[in-house]
Amino acid sequence: MYDLAEKALKAATKYGAKEAEVYIMKSQKTSVNIQKDMIEGAKENITTGIGIRAIIDGAVGFSSTNIMSYIDEAAKNAVSSAKTQDADPDWKELPSNQKYPTVSGILDKEIQNMELDECIGYTMEMMEAARKTPGIIVTSGSFSRSHGERLILNTNGVEVSEEGTGISGFVDVITNAGETSTAYDFAISRKNDLDFAAIGKNAAELAKQSQDTISIEPHRTEVVIHPFAFSDLIENTFIPSIDADNVQKGRSNLIGRKDEIIANEKLSIYDDGLLEGGIDTGIADDEGVASRKTTVIEDGVFRSYLYDTYTAGKDGVESTGNAARNSYLSTPSVGSRNFIIDFPSCDIIADTDIGVYVNTVIGAHTANAISGDFSVEARNSFTIKDGKLDKPIKSLMISGNIFDMLKNINGAGTDVRKVGGTITPSIRVSDMSVVG
Amino acid sequence: MHSVDFFDTRIIEGTTTSIVLDNGKIEQISVNFTKGAAVRALKGGSWGFTSADGDFDVEKAIRAASELAVSMDEKSPKEKVKMQDIASPVVSNTPKIKKNPLDISLEEKVSNLKEFGKHAKKEGISSTSAVYSESSYKVMYTDSTGVEGEYDVVRTGFAISAVASRNGMYQAGRESRFGVTGYEIFDKYNASELAEEAANSALQLLDAKPAKGGNMPVILDPELAGVFAHEAVGHASEADLVLEGSSVLENRIGKSIASPLVTIIDDPTMHEYGYFPFDDEGSQTEKTTLIENGVLKSYLHSRETAAKLGGTPGHCRAQGHSKPIVRMSNTYIDNGSSKFEEMLEEIGNGMYLIGSRGGQVNTGEGVFQFNAEKGYLIEDGKLTTLIRDVSLSGKILEILNNVKMVGDDLKMNSGRCGKGGQLVPVTDGSPHLMISEAMVGGA
Repeated sequence: MYDLAEKALKAATKYGAKEAEVYIMKSQKTSVNIQKDMIEGAKENITTGIGIRAIIDGAVGFSSTNIMSYIDEAAKNAVSSAKTQDADPDWKELPSNQKYPTVSGILDKEIQNMELDECIGYTMEMMEAARKTPGIIVTSGSFSRSHGERLILNTNGVEVSEEGTGISGFVDVITNAGETSTAYDFAISRKNDLDFAAIGKNAAELAKQSQDTISIEPHRTEVVIHPFAFSDLIENTFIPSIDADNVQKGRSNLIGRKDEIIANEKLSIYDDGLLEGGIDTGIADDEGVASRKTTVIEDGVFRSYLYDTYTAGKDGVESTGNAARNSYLSTPSVGSRNFIIDFPSCDIIADTDIGVYVNTVIGAHTANAISGDFSVEARNSFTIKDGKLDKPIKSLMISGNIFDMLKNINGAGTDVRKVGGTITPSIRVSDMSVVG
Repeated sequence: MHSVDFFDTRIIEGTTTSIVLDNGKIEQISVNFTKGAAVRALKGGSWGFTSADGDFDVEKAIRAASELAVSMDEKSPKEKVKMQDIASPVVSNTPKIKKNPLDISLEEKVSNLKEFGKHAKKEGISSTSAVYSESSYKVMYTDSTGVEGEYDVVRTGFAISAVASRNGMYQAGRESRFGVTGYEIFDKYNASELAEEAANSALQLLDAKPAKGGNMPVILDPELAGVFAHEAVGHASEADLVLEGSSVLENRIGKSIASPLVTIIDDPTMHEYGYFPFDDEGSQTEKTTLIENGVLKSYLHSRETAAKLGGTPGHCRAQGHSKPIVRMSNTYIDNGSSKFEEMLEEIGNGMYLIGSRGGQVNTGEGVFQFNAEKGYLIEDGKLTTLIRDVSLSGKILEILNNVKMVGDDLKMNSGRCGKGGQLVPVTDGSPHLMISEAMVGGA
């Protein structure tokens, strides 16, 4: 890998790049799929690719390929793309070689070396646990394990090489007797520490509990939002507004609002690239800037946007280590790392006299990412009465605005979940509009 | 040599170029070349699948997929999967590319994008962006029964978005056009005018009022009605979802499930963004009627689901080197005979919902939720107040039965559809629809 990267850097420089960067990704993933109570098959995906950024006076050209004999041509294309553009005075430079922190809990040899038998075993565990609840069909599900390596090299001396593992389980179930209801559950980790039986059991029990629904009248009430639903909302409404790129382009509600109180004073939010065993943990971000922990909201006060090297250079600040890439096919852009929601916890349902509990939402991606307004369909929701979940609700829309919500948060559960990169407990928000 | 019942290979090779313009400045130019293979093997009732990038060895990939299938079949044996036999596809009536985008210089593409992108920057618009993309791919298919086929496809398109802001309020407008065409897409559509339209929508929404939710009669514009056809009806018609018990349309073939005014079609042969001459398991494509005059006629099938449920394959697609699954192509509600003005008159009081910001559907329970871009209150048969952040939700079968009028103004919209983590190009469309009762959500 290293030799290929060096070759690509040299080629880009030869064709005229002032600065150049090479990102190589290699991954191997095994997954096992469930379809209607049966294991349908297994997949193995091997991916290797290279992305080259060539920079001339701040103009960035990019080219990528998975054909290693095309590297020279890709480097040439990246350079000619850069030449087609005007100079960008806002560009400072690519990150330089720096001291990297150590991180832990992201590589597990058990996952790296996991055989197909074991993968099938975990898949069966999920499915069988779900089927222990009578009247449940597992409509679909999947298990996956992966091992990946990435290498980042640039002409400023950055050399980042890191490997990691991941494991996940997901099931979607439906009831086949009585009222039709569905539910899902999933979990993801970097270590081989998932309780696969719990995933199946949780989904099945939730679908069962969601039967015999009642309708409710439109009103405003306290809503307790499960980590699945809360992370979905926060990722689609709040995270875009702290992305420095959106802020600089006038697409954020938080422009010029640093050090302003924007949330309940007990709420803090951190973006942490160093979290032990975090889904988005690594020694560096995807352009080779050392990972760190950034305080986004401190006791209700808005403290920081998230920056990659380019946006940081534009604002004259340091990068927060938030350059992210989906794959070798694209240039880095600002993205959150492990996003941690922190609020004093309590037994949140028992603490709620009357309200609504929402497990998941559909349609969060339709929210207005700038204004923060959303209107989503809540799934597997229940009324709360006298500190207990009472009746499942047939159909429910919840709507509001994320910035109003942050101010109206008045409680959190003890049930902290890693929902991908977002780590959050159940969150209670006062005075939300619910339409039954 | 391979101890499996069936295997197939799909090799895809090609290039993609995209150019991103942000606030008038080129933000990124990206050129990708990729090649890869996707291989499936079937043993008994178990599938093995492998994908490989770049300079792969197909024989090795077939062996790896076969080993997975054999091993799965030993460890969790189950009912044998049968694949519908098919003939090799005949590739004909392919879209004619008038201006091959690969023949046009990067400089020209950049200056064109800058030129039309400018038109979104109107007074009151705080930021704009525009994207141009093109792709040119060759797809080669073979299977162990002797089926073979190959085709080339060129896709181009552009999107423009504009954000208007005033006193801490932000509203966005977006226009996009994608198709199976060459660079002549800019002759077909006036990108500058569309950029102005995106800006106008954003500006207009600054003065819109939040919606008051509730049950009411509604008119859906062709774009939102198209999203309904795709999300609510199209997905529920996918035979893999029907087989796994996740569709409200299970066991309803031949039954009346919608107002007799409703006919819904999925047609991969149409020269729209969702076009393909044969699907990703070698099946020839043809126009498929899902609902005809209210009666459910057919599901969408792969070779596996067609063999199991009876039906015609041709709707199994994959993103790149992923494993193909049952998908839509160009999905639309067919024209009726009503005029928009007649709908307004008929409805009296209600809401007119326009455009779409996406949506989701739970096909198992048969419920959906879509956010419209905007809406108008309808009072005494007249469009009055402009409404923002408005959504439509409900039960698929109730809405289908509540369709009271179908317009004669079918319009298609291009986009990408996600399922199983894979995105594929599609279009959806419809004429205006009048629905006697639907749940409208608001802020």
